[in-house]
Amino acid sequence: MAKCKSCVVLPFLIGLVASIVLGWWGFPKVLYSQKTQPIRFDHVVHVEDQAMACEDCHAFREDGSFTGLPTNANCVGCHEDVQGEDPDEARFVTEYVQQEKEVEWLAYQTQPDNVYFSHIAHKELECTSCHPDVAKMKTPPVYHENRLSGYSKDTMKMWQCEECHAKTGASNACFVCHK
Amino acid sequence: MGIDRRSFISLVAGGVAGSLFTPVIWKSLDDVSIWTQNWPWIPRLQYGEEAKVPALCKLGADAYGMKVKTVAGRPVAAEGDADHPLSQGGICPLGAASVHMLYSPSRVKNPKLKDGSSFKDISWEEAEDLLAGKLKEAGAGVAMISGDETGSVTDVLAGLVGKAGSDKTFLMPGESAPAAAALAMIGGDGQVGYDIENASYVLLLGADALGSWGNVARNGKAFGASREKGVKFVYAGPAQNGTSAVCDSWVPCAPGTEAVLALGLAAVISAGGRDRASWPGYADFAKFVQSAYAPEKVSEITGVSVDVIKGLAQELVRTGRPLVLTAAGAGQGLGAFEMAAGMSLNLLLERVNTVGGVRILPWSPKVVESAPEKKALLAADLAGYLTSVADGATEAPALLMVHAANPAYAMPNLAKAQAAIDKAGFVVSFSSFMDETAAMADLIMPDCYAFERLDDAYSPYGSGQPNYTVAGSIIKPVYDTKPAGDVILSVAAKAGLELGFETFEDVVKAKAEALGADFDAMVEGTPWLGEEFPAQDLALWATPLKEIPVAAKDGKSLALAPASQLKVGSAKVAIPPFNTNAIRFDEMLGKDMYVLMNGATAKNLGVKKDDAVKLSAAAGECKARVRIFEGVMNDTVVAPLGFGHTAWDDFSRGKGDNVYKLLAAEAEGETGLSRFATARVTVSKA
Repeated sequence: MAKCKSCVVLPFLIGLVASIVLGWWGFPKVLYSQKTQPIRFDHVVHVEDQAMACEDCHAFREDGSFTGLPTNANCVGCHEDVQGEDPDEARFVTEYVQQEKEVEWLAYQTQPDNVYFSHIAHKELECTSCHPDVAKMKTPPVYHENRLSGYSKDTMKMWQCEECHAKTGASNACFVCHK
Repeated sequence: MGIDRRSFISLVAGGVAGSLFTPVIWKSLDDVSIWTQNWPWIPRLQYGEEAKVPALCKLGADAYGMKVKTVAGRPVAAEGDADHPLSQGGICPLGAASVHMLYSPSRVKNPKLKDGSSFKDISWEEAEDLLAGKLKEAGAGVAMISGDETGSVTDVLAGLVGKAGSDKTFLMPGESAPAAAALAMIGGDGQVGYDIENASYVLLLGADALGSWGNVARNGKAFGASREKGVKFVYAGPAQNGTSAVCDSWVPCAPGTEAVLALGLAAVISAGGRDRASWPGYADFAKFVQSAYAPEKVSEITGVSVDVIKGLAQELVRTGRPLVLTAAGAGQGLGAFEMAAGMSLNLLLERVNTVGGVRILPWSPKVVESAPEKKALLAADLAGYLTSVADGATEAPALLMVHAANPAYAMPNLAKAQAAIDKAGFVVSFSSFMDETAAMADLIMPDCYAFERLDDAYSPYGSGQPNYTVAGSIIKPVYDTKPAGDVILSVAAKAGLELGFETFEDVVKAKAEALGADFDAMVEGTPWLGEEFPAQDLALWATPLKEIPVAAKDGKSLALAPASQLKVGSAKVAIPPFNTNAIRFDEMLGKDMYVLMNGATAKNLGVKKDDAVKLSAAAGECKARVRIFEGVMNDTVVAPLGFGHTAWDDFSRGKGDNVYKLLAAEAEGETGLSRFATARVTVSKA
């Protein structure tokens, strides 16, 4: 009878533990593909060496909209020709700027089209409250793309928006985000 | 310990239980729900900087400045330009649809050469070489048709034809030509415009000014302002329409007889007490109109009562700054003599070349040396030429080039126009769209669409003030198209017919310089406005006076009133795909268009609502359904222009019938211009 108990309990525990391990460790590896940015953009060179401010590339426009990721137009002021010895910079100049082709940067937090997110309404928050602190990175973080939904792993979920709105007293009415 | 059945079930049960404490199930369900919203055919928003960029709308008969809203440089919507004098913040239905047309399924995406009954794709180099070769072969046997009477591309194309030694340069029918000829009949020389903003009384003789005629957006703004200023608008026409609906009064007037009403009004006014004996030509004119256009006779022809005629004449005389706009209901088809009838009424009221009246604008400066003067270009009659070619009286051109025009769809004597195009040795279309003419062409060299090219417009017909607008490209060509102006210059050079310019931009800059305009400022959205109006030496009239021919009533046929609605397109463009939603239930039944007649007329014909009918005229036939509308005069049928396309796309093809088939043009004796505003049709059950 004791043997029969171990025949039941032990496999159950093995299955339980294995499932939990696979679910928390293996499942994300299967669910998310890993991508790197088309160009290894070195924020440190720009922020520390060139003393550029975040707003030089990620600014609010006159109408309050946010520029988000810069286009080539922002970069050609300095990078019309290759400036340094970084091979990625050379590739950026020859394959994108000179070809008049925009870099298809991978955005870590892009919301679906049915979500209206206003950066200027959240300007009191630190950028790093929602975004990775890329200003200190020489290499952009790996982009994890959800194979099912197609969105970035770091895309903020609705409950996260609602939680913050609730904590700060902001409205959680549907039309605040869904116009 | 071996794995038996019980152990295996326990293992699986443990695995299932464990999975409940992981994100596998919950995350998968969530992501799958998102995945179901991500079908590839669902369009994605493109984010970026929003801007409003100046642009030109030339899709209707008018050309005016507007603003195109762009996101990340991509046009997404069009709106009026408050700073442009011909828009003043307003926009026409075609302008509103202009951004959609950029991606129209009718766009010709690359050069095409006729290959049997279809086309094969060729490169631009092959196309240019081919056209250059055809130009050399054709010599002086070249002809051109343009539907853009305001733009410099027409100058370049006409210059090429002129350089080749041909004078076969034509514009599509419109009202600029008869208006200029009418002005010449009273001794004037220039481009006719109307200072509608500063008039204190506006009589619209057939002009659907608020729907489709002239500078539609500007007219609407002037009308809006008139409500506060107490300016009266009176519309005379055969049926209620958008213009009559909002004007202060509607005077029912038989289609095509508005000019007769003008001469009737002139007769009443000239019979008044004022002494005008010293006016050049007045005595003969007054004698003529009073004998030939007595109110009773005018009433008989037009259907306007004698009392209304006299009342209108009194209003015109008593008002400080009256303005009479004479036009065909469809914006084309009046002869010069008919236009001159309206012009003479303005002259009688001393409303020509003065504030709030008819303005005479200087002609567009000529910058391409070998191109004809604009006046000469307007005097060349296309309908007459094509009819003559079809009849064999004139030799068919060895090479026919067509720009911004669709003569295979929008011409009177349509069957003959199509036959003439068919007889041409080699037909080249520069159309951006697969219109009926492009479909007949041997070679299509697709022009960039409006937002993809530099374009200009000098004082569209009706402008009250000289103006010149230049718009740059907003977006790179979406397809493999090239600006027609540059292509023509390149081909001209290859054919050894250099026109003196390397690029089309050089042509526009030369025109800007000739006008004293700032090219850069215009490209940024500030149009040039002229202040000078050439002095005129006018007389009533400089041409022998004669009665206006009007098709006789025969008790069987109906007067045809073609009606234009910009929402279903124009002579240049077919129904924009998004505008199909704007076609009302009472305008189409299935794929049949409605024609309108009143209950009494329908009863006489023995037809009732929704009956399928055939409209027959000497020029051709049309099929339609009957709609009873009591806003139409007796013995009149209103038929919509803009339907019945055979090319274009699924959104416009095969819907309704082409009313141009019913229009028969006849040459006017003095000017040689074609007139086709008065047509009679028989209506029978189909």
